[in-house]
Amino acid sequence: MYLTRRPWFLLVTSIGFLGLFWSALRVGTLAPAEFSFANGADIKSIDPAIVTGHPEGRIINAVFEGLYRNLPAHTLPGYQPDGDPNRMVPQPAMAERYDRSADGLTYTFHIRPSARWSDGSRVTAHDFVWSWKRFLHPDTANQYVYQLTSYVSGAKAFNTSQVGPGDRVEVELPDRLRPYDPFPTGTMLYGVVRRRIEAPRPAMEGLRRAEQDEKLAEWHRRCKFEVDIVPVVRNDDEPHSTPQIDWAAAGERRVFAKQDALADDMGGPLEGHHPTEECLHILPHFDSSVGIRAIDANTFEVRLDHPTAYFLELCGFYVLYPVHRPSVERFGYPAWTRPEHLVTNGPYSIAFRRIRDRIRLQKSPTYWNAKEVALNTIDALALSSQTTMLNMYLNGQLDWIDDPPQTAIPDLRQRSDWHGGVRLGTYFFRLNVNKPPLDNVQVRRALNQALNKQQICESVTRAGEVAARSLVPPGLSDYQAPLCDDYDVAAAQQLLADAGYAGGRGFPRLEILYNTSESHRTIAEVVQQQWNQNLGIHVDLRNREWKVYLDDTQSQKYEISRAAWIGDYPDPNTFLDMFVTQGPNNMTGWGNLRYDEALAGSQQELDPQRRLELLAEAERILMAELPILPIYFYASKNLVRADFSGFSENLLDVHPLHLLRRRR
Amino acid sequence: MWELPRIDETKSYGHMLAEARAMRGTSLSRDAWTRLRRNRAAWISAMFLLCLSVLAVLTPLLPLDSPQRQYLGSGAANRQLLPPSWKGGRIEIDGPGGTIPLSVALRRYDELLRHSTVGAKVEVMHPFLRLWHDLRPVDYVLVRCRLRCFGDWCLPSWCGTDQLGRDVLSRLLWGTRVSLSVGAIAGCVSLVIGVFYGAIAGYFGGFVDAMMMRFVDVLSSIPFIFVVIFAITVLGKEEIRAELQRHGIERIAIFYLLIGAIYWLTMARVVRGQVISLRNEPFVEAARVLGAGHVRIILFHLLPNLISIVIVYLTLMIPSIILFEAFLSFLGLGVEPPNVSWGILANDGIQAITPLRSYWWLVFFPGLTLSMTLLALNFLGDGLRDALDPRLRQH
Amino acid sequence: MLRTLTWFVVQRVLWSCATLWLVFTATFFLMRLVPGGPFQLDRNVSPEIRRNLIARFRMDLPLPQQYWEHLFRTARGDLGPSFTIADYSVNEILGQGFVVSSALGVFALLGALGLGVPAGVLSAAYRGRSVDRWVMLLATLGIAVPNFVLASLCILVFVFVVPVFPAGGWGTWRQLVLPSACLAAPFAAYIARLTRTGMLEVLGQDYIRLARAKGLRSSAILVRHALRGAMLPVVSYLGPTTAGILTGSLVLEKVFALPGMGSHFVDAALQRDFTLAMGAVLVYTLLLSVMMLIVDISYVLLDPRVKIGE
Repeated sequence: MYLTRRPWFLLVTSIGFLGLFWSALRVGTLAPAEFSFANGADIKSIDPAIVTGHPEGRIINAVFEGLYRNLPAHTLPGYQPDGDPNRMVPQPAMAERYDRSADGLTYTFHIRPSARWSDGSRVTAHDFVWSWKRFLHPDTANQYVYQLTSYVSGAKAFNTSQVGPGDRVEVELPDRLRPYDPFPTGTMLYGVVRRRIEAPRPAMEGLRRAEQDEKLAEWHRRCKFEVDIVPVVRNDDEPHSTPQIDWAAAGERRVFAKQDALADDMGGPLEGHHPTEECLHILPHFDSSVGIRAIDANTFEVRLDHPTAYFLELCGFYVLYPVHRPSVERFGYPAWTRPEHLVTNGPYSIAFRRIRDRIRLQKSPTYWNAKEVALNTIDALALSSQTTMLNMYLNGQLDWIDDPPQTAIPDLRQRSDWHGGVRLGTYFFRLNVNKPPLDNVQVRRALNQALNKQQICESVTRAGEVAARSLVPPGLSDYQAPLCDDYDVAAAQQLLADAGYAGGRGFPRLEILYNTSESHRTIAEVVQQQWNQNLGIHVDLRNREWKVYLDDTQSQKYEISRAAWIGDYPDPNTFLDMFVTQGPNNMTGWGNLRYDEALAGSQQELDPQRRLELLAEAERILMAELPILPIYFYASKNLVRADFSGFSENLLDVHPLHLLRRRR
Repeated sequence: MWELPRIDETKSYGHMLAEARAMRGTSLSRDAWTRLRRNRAAWISAMFLLCLSVLAVLTPLLPLDSPQRQYLGSGAANRQLLPPSWKGGRIEIDGPGGTIPLSVALRRYDELLRHSTVGAKVEVMHPFLRLWHDLRPVDYVLVRCRLRCFGDWCLPSWCGTDQLGRDVLSRLLWGTRVSLSVGAIAGCVSLVIGVFYGAIAGYFGGFVDAMMMRFVDVLSSIPFIFVVIFAITVLGKEEIRAELQRHGIERIAIFYLLIGAIYWLTMARVVRGQVISLRNEPFVEAARVLGAGHVRIILFHLLPNLISIVIVYLTLMIPSIILFEAFLSFLGLGVEPPNVSWGILANDGIQAITPLRSYWWLVFFPGLTLSMTLLALNFLGDGLRDALDPRLRQH
Repeated sequence: MLRTLTWFVVQRVLWSCATLWLVFTATFFLMRLVPGGPFQLDRNVSPEIRRNLIARFRMDLPLPQQYWEHLFRTARGDLGPSFTIADYSVNEILGQGFVVSSALGVFALLGALGLGVPAGVLSAAYRGRSVDRWVMLLATLGIAVPNFVLASLCILVFVFVVPVFPAGGWGTWRQLVLPSACLAAPFAAYIARLTRTGMLEVLGQDYIRLARAKGLRSSAILVRHALRGAMLPVVSYLGPTTAGILTGSLVLEKVFALPGMGSHFVDAALQRDFTLAMGAVLVYTLLLSVMMLIVDISYVLLDPRVKIGE
C-alpha cells in the first residue's frame, strides 16, 4: 500500500515542478531593440482618453498623432533661426493647416489627405469628432478633461450632463454589451426635454465649493426627465455615419431617470402616466450643442468659448489624439489596446507589450511622414528604481534615462552625454491659509524669506535646478514673471516679529506634509533646519504614502504641504489657473477676487501682449500674498548615449522618439 | 552516569543527609548558565549585545555631534559626503543670532529662564531641542552630564558624513537606540500575545484549540506587508492619530505594537505545542487535583516551564523584526525622520553606491552594525537553545 | 489507504476554500477602511468626474452589494479589471508576473537546496571542527545580511568590477543568475542550519548505530539513512517558504528591474488598486494552502511512522 501511492504522489509533485522549471527556462533570448529607454513605472493605458502622465505620454506620442504636434522649432520645414531652436512649437501633423476666424473663436483644421491609420484607411475629421466626443463622455472620466471643457463651447455641459427643459438630448439605454466600456455602446434615443421633474434641492449653506458641486451633481442624478423622443433616420450603408435626426417630427413622450432616481418617488402624478424608464445617460445632443464638428471628411471645425492663444499647443497634447473608431467599437475597452488589435496613426505601432517589463515599438509603414522616421524598433522599459536605471545605462542596456539617483548627479553632469536644462515645472510648498498662524500674510512672507532656496538647489538637488521666486518658470517667451521677496534672514525675522512671534517665541509647531520619497524627505529636512536656524521655529515632518498624501492635501488636512506642478502647455496659464478661488487644484484655501478677475480677463483678451500683462498682474498678487512658497524650478536630467542624435533639450522635457536617429 | 550510593550502615543518618545535600548538585538554570559560558561564540555575542545596548542607552552621554544637524554651507561649513576622519569637532548650534557653541546657548537659555517673570511662560525653544529631536527627561539629564564632562568637544566623524553633512557615527548610535528598541519592544509584544494565546489554546485543547489555531492559520496566510501598509495608514489617520496622541501614544509606539502584533503567530504555535506536551504531566495533574483553577495552572505551573523555549525563540525572532524594520525603511514606511534607524541608514547608504563613485562609509558602517547584531543574536539564540534545553543540545 | 488519503485531501481543500473566503473578506474590508481610495487622482478633479469614474468600476454601489458581486466574480475565477494597469485584467497581470516570479523562485529553490543540504550534511559530519564552524558562520551571515544590501553589493561586484552579468532586466538566462543567487542566499542558510540540526538528531538514533555496527561506510550512512530522516524539518520549512518564494520578492524585483509578482503586493496596496491587491493576496493564500498540503503528504512519504490525519 505504502509503496503503491508513492509513485503517484511523486509523479504529481515532479510534474508540477517540471512545469514550473520549463516555464522558467522558456525565457528565450529577445533580440535587443535599436534604442531602449527607461520609461518610469508601468504605464496605465495606451488609450489616449484614459491616461494621464509623462510615461504614458511618451508611448502615445509615438503611436498616435493629433491635429498638431509639439516639436522643436528647428524641425519646421524652412526654419529660420530665431531664438531657441529647441523651443517646442506646434507643427502640422494630421492637419496640414488651419484657419482661425477673426474673433479667434473658430478653428478650422484641414486634415492631411495622406494621413493613414495603420490598417490603411484614411484618418478623417469624423475620427476626430468621435474621438473627442469619447474623450468628453462622462464615462471616460479623464482627469485632463478640462483641456477641452474649459475652452470648447458646450463641452462642459456635455461632460457634466447638464440638461434642462427645451434642450436637445441623447439618451442611452442600459443595454450595453460590455459594461466597462468608457463610451456609449447602448441604444441611443434622441429627443427634446419637455420637463425636468426635480428632486428636492439639497441644503447648500456653509459648504465649501467642492462640497456644493458634489451635492449638485448628486441632485442632478436624482432628477427625472420628460423627453419627446424623435425618430432617427439611419443610413445603413455607412454604419459609422452620423444619424439623421428629424427634430421637427412630433415626438413620443417618455420619462427617463438614472438608476439612482428610479427608486425615488417624487414630483407628483405625471401627465399621461408615462412609466419611468431607466437610462444610463441623458446628455446634451453632441452634434447640435458642442462646438466640435466635421464639415466634411477633410475639414474639422472647433468653436471656442473664448479666444485661446495656446489652442494649437493643446491640440498637440496627447489626450486629444484620435483613436480608430471601428476597432474600438469592435473590440471594446480594453481589448482594442492589445498590440494585435491596436490600430494607430503615429510613427510607431506596438509589436508587443509585457506587463511591467517593456513595450516594443515598431516603425509604422503607413505613417504619413514615415521616411523621416529613422529607428525601426524601440523598447520602453518599465523601471522604477533610480539606481537600477543608472546601472543599466552605464552597462549599455539602456540608451536614455531621465531620472538618475541624486548622489550620482554631480559626477554625471560632467559627462558629455548629460542633457540638462530648466523644465516647465515648479517645486513649491502649499500653505494652508485657513490654519493659523498661516492665515497671516506676514508669517507666510517670513517663511518665504527665511528659505535659502539657492542652498537647496546647490547642495541637495544639484541637477541644475533654479531657485524659484515665482510660480511660473522662466523660459516662456515674452512673459516676465513678477518675483517674490528674496532670501533675507534679517527681513524674515523682522516680519515674524511683526506678526507677534519675535525670535520664534510662541510660534506653534507646524507640520510639513510630503509623500514618501527620498528626495522630498531630504528637502523637507533641509527646510526644517533652515527655518529652525533662521527663525527659531520648529516644524515637524509628516511623511505619508502617495494616496494618503493626495487625500490629505485635497481635503486640506495639512498645514504645509510639498507640491509640484509640471506645465502641460507652454503658457503661464497652465500654472496660474491653479490658484483661482476654490479651483480644484488650489487646495490652499486662498482666494483673491482681483486675481480671479485678472485671470478671467486674460482668457478673453485677444491682444497677446495685454494678455501676458494680465497674467503677470495675477501672479504679482499671488507672489505678494504667498499662499505658496516657490522653491525651485525643475531641471531635466537626461542621459542619452552619444550614438544617437535628434535628442533636443526643451522646456517641456518632451522628446519625440521618431526624431531620434543613430549617428553614423 | 553516577552510581547509586551504597548505604553504609556504619554512617550516621546525619552524615548521609549532608552527603545527599552535597550531591544535589547544580540547579537547572545554573547548569544552563555554565553551559552558556562555555559556548564561546554565544558568550562573545552576548557581550557584544550587552555593550551595544549600553552604548544605545548612554548615547546622549557620549560626546557626539547632533544626529540631525546639517552642514550645507560653503567652505568649511560644508561637510557633505566627507570620508571618515580623525579630526575632532565642536558641537554648535545655529540660531537667528549666528553659530554659537552649545554650552553658551544653554547658559543663555538658563539666564533667560532665570530673568523671566515667575509664572510667565517661556516660549523659547530649549537649545537641546534644536539639536536632538524628542529628548526624554532622562536624556536631558544625560546631555547635561555630557556637557559637564566633555564640554563642547565632540568625537571626530569616524564614520564619515552623509549627503546633508550629518555625522554618520552619531546617526548610527541614535539609530541603534531605535532599531534595538523596535526589536526588543516588538519582540516583547509578540511574546506576550503569542505565549498567552498559545498557552490557552494548548491548555484547553479540543474545540477551543482547533478554532484558535485555525484563526492563526488564516492570519498567517495573509501577506505580512499588506497588513502592515494598511494598518500603518489607518492608524496614521488624522483623527485616530490625534486620539492616540491624547493618550500619549506616538507614531513610533504604534509602529512597535504593530510589528509585535504581527510576529506572534510563530510564537503561539511553538508555545501551544509545548503546552500540549506538558498538559498531562503529573505536576499539572497534581495542581489540578489540589484545586488550582485554570488561570493559576497556566500562570504558575505551565508558564515557568515554557521560559526556556520562549527565550530561545525570542532571540531568533528579534533579528527578523530588525530586518523587517529595515525592509519597511526600504519602502519608506519605517520610522520617520528626524528619527533614524539602521534600516534608514542602510537604505540611504545603498542609494549612495553607484558605479561612478562609492561613498562606501555610508553603507559599510550601518551594514556592519546591522549584520553584526543579527549575527550575534543568532549565535546567542543557538547558544541559549543548547544551554537551556539539554534535550535539543547536540551532544 | 487511498481512501484515507482522498478524504484527507478533500478535507484540506474544503478548509482551504474556507480560508480563502475569510482572507477575502478580511482584505475586502481592510482595503475600504484606509484613507485615500483608488480614485484619489494626482490632479484634483471635479466631483462629477470622480463620480463617473467610481461608477465605471461599480464602486458606487452599497458595500454589501459590492462585496457579493466581487465575491461571486472571484469565485468564478475572474479577478476583475485592474485600476492601475488599466489595459489588462488582474488575471493577466498576475499570470504574467507569476511566470517570472516562479522562474526566479525555482532557480532560487534549487540553488538553496543544492547549497544548503550538502552544507548542512558536511557541517553535521564534521561537527565541532573548523569546517562546521565556517559553514555555520557563513549560514548565519546569510541570514544576517539584508537582501537589499546583498543585492546592491552583488551588482557592484558582478556587473561593474567583474563584468559577468547584466545589471538587470528580464529576457535571458544570464539576467536570472544574480537575482536568484540573492534570493537563494538566506534560504540556503536556513536550510543548512535545519539540515545540520536534523542530521545531528538522527545520527544519535539507534538505527544509525545499527547501520554503523553493520559496517556500512559512513558516507553511505549519512546520505542513505540519516539524510532522509533529517529532511523532515527542511520539508516542513520548505512548504510556506516555497509559497513565499514563488510569489516573488519585492526588493529584488526593484533592484534588478524584474517584472515579477512580488511588487504587486506593495504597489497595489499603495496605489489602492483594490482588485489587483485582492488578487495578489488570494494567489498567495492559495499557493500557501497547496504547499502545506504537499508538505503534509511528503511527511508520510519520508517518515513511515507518520500517519495521515494525525
